[in-house]
Amino acid sequence: MLTVSVKWQKKVFESIEIDTSQPPYVFKAQLYDLSGVPTERQKIMVKGGLLKDDADWSTIGLKNGQKLMMMGTADEIVKAPEKGPVFMEDLPEEEQAANLGYSAGLVNLGNTCYMNSTMQCLKSVPELKSELSNYQSARTKDVDQTSHMLTVATRELFSELDKSVKAVAPMPFWMVLQKKYPQFAQLHNGNHMQQDAEECWTQMLYTLSQSLKAPSPSEDPDAVKALFGLNLQSRLHCQESIEESSETESVYSLKCHISHEVNHLHEGLKHGLKGELEKTSPALGRTAVYIKESLIDSLPRYLTVQFVRFFWKRESNQKAKILRKVDYPLELDIFDLCSEDLRKKLEAPRQKLRDIEGQKFGLQTSAKSSSKGDDVKMTDAEGSSSGSGQSSTGDQQGGASSHMTGIYDLVSVLTHKGRSADSGHYVAWVKQESGKWVQYDDDNTSLQREEDITKLSGGGDWHMAYIIMYKARLVPM
Amino acid sequence: MAPVPDPNNVSGGAKRDEATVKVPSKDPKKKDDKKEEDLSEEDLQLKQNLELYVERVQDPNPELQKAALESMRQEIRASTSSMTSVPKPLKFLRPHYGTLKEFHKNMAESDLKKMLADILSVLALTMSAEGERESLGYRLTGSEGDIGSWGHEYVRNLAGEIAEEYTMRQGEESSIEDLMDLVQQIVAFHMKHNAETEAVDLLMDVEDLDLLLEHVDRTNFRRTCNYLTSAAKYLPGPDDMLVLDIAYMIYIKFEEYPNALQIALFLDNMQYVKQVFTSCTDLLRKKQFCYMISRHGITFELDPEMVADDVDREMLQDIVNNTKLSEGYLTLARDIEVMEAKTPEDIYKAHLLDGRASSAPSTDSARHNLAATFVNAFVNAGFGQDKLMTVPSDSTSGSAGNWLFKNKEHGKTSAAASLGMILLWDVDSGLAQLDKYFHSNDNPIIAGALLGVGIVNCGIKNDCDPALALLGEYIEKEDPSVRIGAIMGLGIAYAGSQNDQIRSSLSPILNDAKAPLDVIAFAALSLGMIYVGSCNEEVAQSIIFALMDRSEAELGEAITRFLPLGLGLLYLGKQESVEATAEVSKTFNEKIRKYCDMTLLSCAYAGTGNVLKVQDLLAQCGEHLEKGDIHQGPAVLGLAMVAMSEELGLDMEIRSLERVLQYGEQNIRRAVPLALGLLCISNPKVNVMDTLSRLSHDTDSEVAMAAIISLGLIGAGTNNARIAGMLRNLSSYYYKDPSLLFCVRIAQGLVHMGKGLLSLSPFHSERLLLSPTALAGIVTLLHACLDMKSIILGKYHYVLYFLVLAMQPRMMLTVDENLKPISVPVRVGQAVDVVGQAGRPKTITGFQTHSTPVLLAAGERAELATDKYIPLSPILEGFIILKENPDYREE
Repeated sequence: MLTVSVKWQKKVFESIEIDTSQPPYVFKAQLYDLSGVPTERQKIMVKGGLLKDDADWSTIGLKNGQKLMMMGTADEIVKAPEKGPVFMEDLPEEEQAANLGYSAGLVNLGNTCYMNSTMQCLKSVPELKSELSNYQSARTKDVDQTSHMLTVATRELFSELDKSVKAVAPMPFWMVLQKKYPQFAQLHNGNHMQQDAEECWTQMLYTLSQSLKAPSPSEDPDAVKALFGLNLQSRLHCQESIEESSETESVYSLKCHISHEVNHLHEGLKHGLKGELEKTSPALGRTAVYIKESLIDSLPRYLTVQFVRFFWKRESNQKAKILRKVDYPLELDIFDLCSEDLRKKLEAPRQKLRDIEGQKFGLQTSAKSSSKGDDVKMTDAEGSSSGSGQSSTGDQQGGASSHMTGIYDLVSVLTHKGRSADSGHYVAWVKQESGKWVQYDDDNTSLQREEDITKLSGGGDWHMAYIIMYKARLVPM
Repeated sequence: MAPVPDPNNVSGGAKRDEATVKVPSKDPKKKDDKKEEDLSEEDLQLKQNLELYVERVQDPNPELQKAALESMRQEIRASTSSMTSVPKPLKFLRPHYGTLKEFHKNMAESDLKKMLADILSVLALTMSAEGERESLGYRLTGSEGDIGSWGHEYVRNLAGEIAEEYTMRQGEESSIEDLMDLVQQIVAFHMKHNAETEAVDLLMDVEDLDLLLEHVDRTNFRRTCNYLTSAAKYLPGPDDMLVLDIAYMIYIKFEEYPNALQIALFLDNMQYVKQVFTSCTDLLRKKQFCYMISRHGITFELDPEMVADDVDREMLQDIVNNTKLSEGYLTLARDIEVMEAKTPEDIYKAHLLDGRASSAPSTDSARHNLAATFVNAFVNAGFGQDKLMTVPSDSTSGSAGNWLFKNKEHGKTSAAASLGMILLWDVDSGLAQLDKYFHSNDNPIIAGALLGVGIVNCGIKNDCDPALALLGEYIEKEDPSVRIGAIMGLGIAYAGSQNDQIRSSLSPILNDAKAPLDVIAFAALSLGMIYVGSCNEEVAQSIIFALMDRSEAELGEAITRFLPLGLGLLYLGKQESVEATAEVSKTFNEKIRKYCDMTLLSCAYAGTGNVLKVQDLLAQCGEHLEKGDIHQGPAVLGLAMVAMSEELGLDMEIRSLERVLQYGEQNIRRAVPLALGLLCISNPKVNVMDTLSRLSHDTDSEVAMAAIISLGLIGAGTNNARIAGMLRNLSSYYYKDPSLLFCVRIAQGLVHMGKGLLSLSPFHSERLLLSPTALAGIVTLLHACLDMKSIILGKYHYVLYFLVLAMQPRMMLTVDENLKPISVPVRVGQAVDVVGQAGRPKTITGFQTHSTPVLLAAGERAELATDKYIPLSPILEGFIILKENPDYREE
């Protein structure tokens, strides 16, 4: 008979008697009673070794009063979950891209940052992507060969960007672009010249609008125009002869003219919509100065604004750049640039939007005010029903349920850095669906903070906004 | 030209006089003429007297001679007390030095001649040409009177001449007996007059430090020993050992046992350690010794000779075995109120990064989770609770298991082992919690459990040897990962123990032809750890054979580097003892030969500050090599290892590494950040921080990774806000590169290690002692970092756990006589170097008063702010036993 003490976790079982004539299994059974640890899970440590069930006590050489240590728990044994987690490292490359939350960058093929940044901005328009994916690979006869090729190349480029994790080299697209618009293939000292991104942007939209015209005009006249185009209603009047005429024109972007008074986008836009031109006046029989004042007559889903930062400088024979700082907001309201008709149409959706936002901020709390809101809605509904009949504001299929409000959110910024249009560097800054901003600097992509986006307003040598794109905020009615 | 001074104007004359005196008179003639006129009446009188004496000395009448000599002596003695300027009598006697010398030569042997010799000896102080040692010569022929009576400066001059004479005579092998008599006198004089440093210097010059023992007394032994120990760092071997021996003997003589023990540990002389125990009779003080030994991390068995009583011995052994470390650490944690477990997200602080931090990915990333596992393990190390691994398993059907399975394959090994880290030092709970993994059917989990057992037992010894009992049988298992887990666990748990039983089970693996390379590599490493600094020949042989058996291809593998490292660890800090093995290593395959050579050299001289070895290593770094040679990495690390021991060398090394960085090849540049990390481990110096921050953006990703890990190392356990900020920015800078991001995460975990309560510094006891096991752990990690991609970013990431060997609470915890923590006020401030300063200078500066337990940062020192207690060790670090002061009166 030996007496030992056994330490188990923080407890010590004092003076346990061991019957040395019995195998250690019996001793373990004793410990089971004390600790509740099943014998097969007991590990008893005796001077650097484990006590085996069938060991011989005499060979172990236990001494009276010796301290033993036991390890073991009655805990449940850890089992692997039946379905282990899926690790990102195991996923195929495409899904990794999806996880990243934004698509890949574009490799600079030699002064092609203007093209890269333009394409990244255009790619951020999901509607355009879906239009492109519906585009038939076979050419229809009302599209010329090169436009067709360019459209297909654009589609391929977008889908490749979506799939890839690494930066994409847009070689096929670039070849086609040069073919379609030879001015982009200009060489200077054996290198491709830097080009104006605005030119690229305009040409791309023009080509796409040509090729993406639906085969049957009744269905969907011009998808690109529906997305980007806006109608301007202009009133021309000559102060000398008090003549007046009006015209409508369709444009793809608004111009923000930058003069000394312009500090803010809104001022620039107003400035851009007002212009003077010289024209032969039938009444006076000579050329006279006409003042042209334009108002927006229909709103696009995506409002493109170009900052007119470049002008031709005769002295230096190059496109010079205006570095003036022009602030632009993340949320743009162009209500006061709209024509009277359009304003009327916008009122109801705007009220609705205010209500929704008010609700969001918990401003409308009492039942009383909500009933009042209902009244407004009812009266507005009448007014808007006639407006929406023309569906000029909607401009999209099934758009009866969502309406323009004249309020726009910034979604992409194309910036230029440098002193002249044909030099420097273009970069695209695009808001992702997740709400995060990503900077596409050729093949480098990085996340950006929203407040840094508004800092691209110029006034220094930092990147400054050149073309910005807003997305309409719609309300369901 | 100055106006002609009025000879009657005493004060003006005196001033002028002083001014001229200070000019060393290179051409006395011209000056003398002028001086004639400048002298004040008093001086003129003195001069005339002295001239008279000189004349009289040459008088044939011995009576007159004697009187003259006596007077001359009187004059000189009266004036040599101060040496800010040349005393006047000496100055006036200068022109007569030649005459007197001449006369002395012709004098017959007599007392008078001796007297004259005495005077000449003093005169030679200013007159004798450099290297002539006339002062000493006359002194030896003189009357051998009290040496101090001629003033301090005279003695100092004499001491200098003795040193020169001694080296000369050593060369000629002539007798030095007469010199030694003089040395005796001088030492006695210095020791009495607060000039211990000079006495020690003289004795070092004449190589007879034993003399010191006779002359130290209670008032000056502390300063003497202080000087000896700090001088030892700059002495070449074996003089340094000798000096420390003397210091040890002095401490023993004055019963200053804690200091004696410190030196005994420094010398790694167990005989001395034992002597400390046998010389001391106070049980309480012995407890304090045990705390000191346990901090040093060596295995030490108390025998009945040291502590007679069985019960007492058991209690003391418990302290040596570190069984209470966990308790003390948790006391500290509770006092500082950091018990709350932290999640990796608390460390990453992604919310401070606004827009740029990528949102948590929708799917789990294995690498991301692995990083989180390590961060969680390091941050919650030793706290016994966390939010990933120890979450109660009954809630939501075993969520504890869940985190484990969020790691992939070998990642599960690290995850399971992290439980060991969280329960660090708490063997009882640790084993209980790890138990469940032992019954898993997943090999990586079992491997992790085994490794976890090793980690829990790191630095803790237990009679039952639970680690050996549990791990022993897994060494021979089939699965390599399980074997590695067991082997590494043993290496960590028994580092420095020199356990024969483990050796006999690990050695065969080394020479097993069938064992996989990685198993062999880890076996060699673990043996190196277990026998760290032992110079054990059998282990060395086994590793050498294992190295010789490797095929060409195997030698090219990254993991092979652990074999030479294991070999090197055997000789850690053992200097010349490595030579035989280094010779053998020259016969190795050329692929590993140089690597092995550098590793052995750097390990053997680690912490010695040996300048010659630093030069050797620098020379290696200066070569521009063919591609594929990897030995410059360990050479750069070696620079840091050799130079890390003392502050001056350390700063010098930081500067020279900057050069190496500029001119070195890529493989050197990759090692430099790691070397910097080692030099400043847990000591975030701003200049090093900046260098590393710069390198962390290097275009070479390996340099960047090494710099990031090193940022973690220098900030380890400090919670340094600046480094934390840098790492946070790096995490957003590198968010797209999984490898670099992993390194950033690890570094973040290191900086917040133990929530800021831990240190990785292998130095302790006021930076005197170097814990060999701690250094072994760090060096192993650094060697692994030399090839980051294949080891840490590959499947051997668990080598990060080797850092556990260096992890120690950076605390000062005061306990009462029953070893229960008590809180007393202490002042904590920057340590001041007081070596060689007279009086009782302040030892800390810029202090703040806290109550214990307190944290000590690198370079800080604590002192008790109350007289109520007396600490039993003068080095206030770690556990300190306080005794009530019997003389204390409450005010």
